[in-house]
Amino acid sequence: MKTLLRNCIYQGKNVYRDMGFLFWGLIYPIILVSFFYIAFSGISNIGLEDIDIGMERENPISAILETIDMVNIVEVPRKDANRNLAEGNIDGFIDEDLNILVNDSGINQTMIKGIVEQIKQMNSLNRPMENYDFEANYIADRDQEANGILVIFYSLIGMVSTYSVFAGIETVSLAQGNLTNIGARLNITPLKKKDFLFAGIIVALAFNLLANGLLLLFIEFVLKMNLLREARYSLALIILGNIFGVSLGIFIGASNKQSIGVKTMFAIASTLFLSFLSGLMSPDIKIILDKNLPILGRINPLAIIGNSLYRVNLLGNTKDVGVGMALLTLYSIILIFGAYMFLRRRNYDSI
Amino acid sequence: MIVKVDNLVKRYKELIALDHFSMEVREGEILGLLGPNGCGKTTAINCILSLLSFDKGEVEVLGKKMTPDAYDIKRQIGMVPQEVAVFENLTVKENIDYFCGLYIDDRSLRREYVEEAIDFVELKDYIGFYPKKLSGGLKRRLNIACGIVHKPRLIFLDEPTVAVDAQSRNFILEGIKKLNREGSTIIYTTHYLEEAEMLCNRIVIMDNGKSLVSGTNQELKAMITTTEKIIVRFSQDDDGIMERIGDIPHVIEVTEEDGDYIIKFENGINNISNLLEFIMENNLIYTKLYSQLPTLNDVFLELTGKGLRD
Ligand SMILES: Nc1ncnc2c1ncn2[C@@H]1O[C@H](COP(=O)(O)OP(=O)(O)OP(=O)(O)O)[C@@H](O)[C@H]1O
Ligand SMILES: [Mg+2]
Repeated sequence: MKTLLRNCIYQGKNVYRDMGFLFWGLIYPIILVSFFYIAFSGISNIGLEDIDIGMERENPISAILETIDMVNIVEVPRKDANRNLAEGNIDGFIDEDLNILVNDSGINQTMIKGIVEQIKQMNSLNRPMENYDFEANYIADRDQEANGILVIFYSLIGMVSTYSVFAGIETVSLAQGNLTNIGARLNITPLKKKDFLFAGIIVALAFNLLANGLLLLFIEFVLKMNLLREARYSLALIILGNIFGVSLGIFIGASNKQSIGVKTMFAIASTLFLSFLSGLMSPDIKIILDKNLPILGRINPLAIIGNSLYRVNLLGNTKDVGVGMALLTLYSIILIFGAYMFLRRRNYDSI
Repeated sequence: MIVKVDNLVKRYKELIALDHFSMEVREGEILGLLGPNGCGKTTAINCILSLLSFDKGEVEVLGKKMTPDAYDIKRQIGMVPQEVAVFENLTVKENIDYFCGLYIDDRSLRREYVEEAIDFVELKDYIGFYPKKLSGGLKRRLNIACGIVHKPRLIFLDEPTVAVDAQSRNFILEGIKKLNREGSTIIYTTHYLEEAEMLCNRIVIMDNGKSLVSGTNQELKAMITTTEKIIVRFSQDDDGIMERIGDIPHVIEVTEEDGDYIIKFENGINNISNLLEFIMENNLIYTKLYSQLPTLNDVFLELTGKGLRD
């Protein structure tokens, strides 16, 4: 226990002082998420912010609109409507006769028109307004479109949850006498290789979970996007992503004799590629693949994490999450077992 | 015998790095493993420590067969590898403490040992430095400290003083003697004759993966036929002088090097006076004349037909 703790502390120091880790584990994900945020902000905003509708206090439909969650009613006198539209304070203005004033054409404006049309229709049919579910018919539609963009963010979170891969590579390299001088040196101390590796795994998980947490805080409080609404499943998925990552790192580290730098680049490239297939960069890729090669989305570990996060948090659908989690666990076990076989074979010829 | 190596054979593909290499180390001694670059010193150490598998032979350390998981043996061993092997992102002190902690659990004892090791390699002014900020020589000193900090019973040092300046080297050699006085047995590989001569109780001379001879400094020198070397320089050249010198009693070889004649003798106690007599008889004038006892280089030269100096 003492040995484990000491190894965790020193390996931890060795890792967090490494600029490479800080960059790939912490800074790179924040840069990526900021980049995507800026690139897609025009579209993603609508998915996250309420529609601001301006109207006068006495407007009879204000009571109806108030029941819609995503609609925010702003009290604006008729004469100030144009100015408020121009300044962007409201997305649209509705007068007493249900005429609509807009200054822009976008999804929000379409939405307002749709809602107003609906109200007019119901009026003419003399149906009670309370029975109509605006949420289901319009708002869900609108979210669907914005959610396409959100796939990217869930993919990104999925990808960085596997970034424990770097520390996994590092620890196995340091433990192996045929990979590093330190490895050779450690091999003649009484420290057992598995103790060193175990400490390395703990450190890898701890650091990457911390880095993931910081990224999520950044998304939540700086970018002000509320992505993780279903905390328990999300946490489980992220932890499994971390475990998969460190297993992958240990496998990559143990399976060949390339330098740590080469292995790290390989890890970055492969996780990026798998994330790309799961919708990072462009949701269209995911849509095309889901249509033509659906199996890929179900077995690609990065897609499993990203899609599950998306489904659980946005669609509230937890149906297939268990299967995905089981698959991730299976992958991790296979990778660790593979790494174990490599390490065992090398056990004797340490250099 | 604290270490017993019997007929080790190690191949790297076609290359035979160790060719029936045998060696014994006695408890309490400083054993020098001396040989030129590439003769197999590091390979031998790595095989002894089970870092490398070998094709044939047997290794016993501390009375037991050495294996990769002989942790009870490893507890009592220290090793300073030829290549610097320290954690790049741990400071000097953290590195030493880390390696010490792999052997020593007691915290206050560990602190004491770490301080002693820092003094041993004179790194007191650098304890907060990261290895990449240390010069090559300082890094090697850290490398040494990490290997000896736990005061092991048996220490392997693989060319620890390469790239260390002369002053620090002497300090380190003195430190190694001190470790030895305090009870550690030392195995020291080097290609520096002077180090082996001044430090080691016993020396194993190695070439091409074989151990050629072993013994104390004196024993080794007694093994060869040369017992004395006289170096002489004459003020003028004289044809055929080399042959005539060769006729002096007990001379076994005469060579010329930059105008100096190097005359090797076997046995005989009157070599200098015999040579002086020869000089007078031939009316020669000498500008330099001195006598030397054979060095390890002569031993090596006689055994292998080539010098050990680069
Ligand atoms: N991993 C390896 N693969 C193939 N050949 C090797 C390997 N390591 C060493 N050799 C070869 O084995 C021979 C012995 O090497 P070794 O490193 O043991 O020599 P050494 O006596 O320690 O030399 P030096 O004084 O330069 O350290 C050399 O010819 C070397 O080229
Ligand atoms: Mg060597």
